[in-house]
Amino acid sequence: MARPVSGIVLEGVRKRFGDVVALDGIDLDAADEELLVVVGPSGCGKSTLLRCIAGLEAVDEGVIRIGDRDVTQIRPAARNVSMVFQSYALFPHLTVRENIAFGLVVREEPKAEVRARVAEASLLVGVDALLERRPYELSGGERQRVALARALVRRPDAYLLDEPLSNLDAGTRVEMRTELRRLHREVGATMLHVTHDQVEALTLGDRIAVMDAGRVRQVGTPDELYQRPQDRFVAAFLGTPAMNFLSAEAARPFVPVREGTVLGVRAEHVQLVPEGVGARVDIVEVAGSEAFVHLDRGLVAKVPASARPVEGTHVGLAIDQADTHLFDEDSGARIE
Amino acid sequence: MTDRRQVALMLAPYLVGVTALVALPALVTFGLAFTEYDLLRSPSFVGLDNFRDLANDDIFGIALKNSLVFAAIAVPLRLAGALGLALLLHRRFTGVGLYRSAGVVPTIVPEIAYGLVWLWLFNPLYGPINLLLRWHGDSPTTTAWGVQPPQWLTHPNDARAAIIIMSLFTIGEGFVILLVTRQGLPAELYELAAIEDATAWGVFRRITLPLMAPILLLLFARDLIFSLQWTFIPALVVTDGGPPPYSTTYVPLFVYRNAFEYLRYGYAASATLLMFVVTALIIWLQWRIVRRWRAGFAVGG
Repeated sequence: MARPVSGIVLEGVRKRFGDVVALDGIDLDAADEELLVVVGPSGCGKSTLLRCIAGLEAVDEGVIRIGDRDVTQIRPAARNVSMVFQSYALFPHLTVRENIAFGLVVREEPKAEVRARVAEASLLVGVDALLERRPYELSGGERQRVALARALVRRPDAYLLDEPLSNLDAGTRVEMRTELRRLHREVGATMLHVTHDQVEALTLGDRIAVMDAGRVRQVGTPDELYQRPQDRFVAAFLGTPAMNFLSAEAARPFVPVREGTVLGVRAEHVQLVPEGVGARVDIVEVAGSEAFVHLDRGLVAKVPASARPVEGTHVGLAIDQADTHLFDEDSGARIE
Repeated sequence: MTDRRQVALMLAPYLVGVTALVALPALVTFGLAFTEYDLLRSPSFVGLDNFRDLANDDIFGIALKNSLVFAAIAVPLRLAGALGLALLLHRRFTGVGLYRSAGVVPTIVPEIAYGLVWLWLFNPLYGPINLLLRWHGDSPTTTAWGVQPPQWLTHPNDARAAIIIMSLFTIGEGFVILLVTRQGLPAELYELAAIEDATAWGVFRRITLPLMAPILLLLFARDLIFSLQWTFIPALVVTDGGPPPYSTTYVPLFVYRNAFEYLRYGYAASATLLMFVVTALIIWLQWRIVRRWRAGFAVGG
C-alpha cells in the first residue's frame, strides 16, 4: 500500500511551563521511515517534546510538520499519529481486542474492517492468542505488545513512543527492544522513540538525538555520537561505564594537552600494559566477560575479565592519542 | 502491649459508641416491634399483631409508597447531579475552589435550617422561586407562558416534587467522592482518547462512566439508604406531611407521629423494622444484579 511521506520536522520549538523553560528552541528532523531515538536525563524535556508533537501540549513558538503538513495548531486527532505511553494506557475495562480496536471504533470504521485490522495488528506483535483477555490478566511485556498493536492498527503517519520499555523488567526490555526494531522494519513508518536509557538509544536508533535542559545537544547515528561526541555532556551521557575525563594536568603523563582543555577517554581505551604510567588498582567490578577496573588517577578501565588485575596491586597504563577526545574546559565543546 | 490489645483499645471508644447508641437501641426497637407500648405502661407482648395492623393500615401504605417513589426518582437524579458536578469541576480553573465549596455547603447546613430556607423559597406567594416564575407573567398569578406556577406546598404532586427538589442540593458527599474518583483516573487514558479522536460523549460513555461505575454503584446503595430516611425533616418542617391528608407523609414521619404523638411506640417500632427489611431487600437485590453485571465487566488493577 502506498504510504505518504511522513517525516517529522521541528523548527525553533519553544515551550514554557510558567518560569520553567521545557523546550528551548528545538530543531529536529526525523526522516520518513526513520527510527529516531530522543535520549536524555530526567527533566531534559524529551517527553514534553513528544507531547508537543502529539498535540497534547501547545507550543509557545516554532513549527511542527508531519509529512508536508504544518500541524502546529491542529488538534491531536487530526495529526494522525499514534502514541504509546510509558504506562501503556490500556483501558482496564476493555478486552485486548477492544483495546486494540479503540481508535478504529471511535472513528466508526466498518466492523469487518476493524476485525481484519485487529487480527493483522495482533498477529504482528504476537498477541493474537490473548484477544479475549483483560489487561490485568497480562504480563508487563504482553501489555506493552497490546499497546503497540493499538498504535499499529490505525496505520498512522508517525509513531510516538514515550519510554515504552521503562516499566519492563530487564529481560523483557531487551526482548521488546529487538521486537521494536523488527516492527519498525516491517511497518516502515517514522518512529520517534523517547528514552532516558542510553543503551536503549544506542541499540535501537537509526539516529539519536541527545537532549539536555530543553535543548538538542547532538543528532547523529549511534556510531557518530559514540565516536565523535560534540560536547562533554554527550560524551559523558553515552557509554558504559561513563567516559573518563582528565584535566590537562592529570592527562599530561599520558598524552600532551594544552592548558584549558579536558581530555576524554573511554574505559575500553585505557590500556593496562607492563610498562606504562603507574597506577594503583582500587576496585575491580566483574560483569560477565568484562571487568571495570577503578584506578587512582580518577580513571576506569574496561578489560576482559580474564585479564583483570588484583585489587590493591600496581599496574601500568597507556592511552593512545588517537583514542582520546579533547573538550574546552569552560564551554565543554569538542576541540578537534 | 500486644498489637491485638492495642487495636482493641483504639477500637474501644467507637465500639462503645456504636453499641450504646446504635446496636442496643436497634435491638430494643426490634424487640418492641412485637409489643404494645405507650411509653408509660410497661410493654406487653402481642406477637405479630402490629404487622397485621400495618398491612391493613392505609396510611402506612401511602407512606411506604411515598417513600419508595421518592427514592426511585430522587436517587438517580441525585447521583446524576453529583456526577455532573464532579465532571464539571474536576479540572483546575480560576475560582474552581469556590464552585466546589458551593457544591458541598448545602449538605453541611443543619437540616432544620435547610428546611426553613426552603419553606421560604417555596412559598407560593412571596417565595423567590415563584416570584421568578411569575416574572413577566400575563397576570400577577401566572407565568410568562400563561400557566399557574406550581403550588409547592398546597398541591400534592407539587409538594412531592418540592421535597425531591430539596434533596437534589444535598449531594455534597457524593460529589466529593466522585470528584476524587474522577481525579484518580489516569490522564493518559484521556490523552489517548484525544489522539484517537473520541468525542466528548464517546469519552464519557467508553471511558469515564465504565471506570467510575464501581464507585457509582456503591454510592447508589448508600444514597438509597440515605433517601429512605432523609425525608423526615423536610416532611416535618416544610410540608408537615401534607397537603392533607398524607401527600408527603413518608415512613420516617409516619413512625415519628405514631411513636411520639399517638404514643403507639410498639406499632412505630414494627414500621421501622419493616422499613429496615425493605431497605435490606432492595440493597440485596441491587448487589445481585451488580454481581451478574460485573461478571462481564471486571475492572482489575
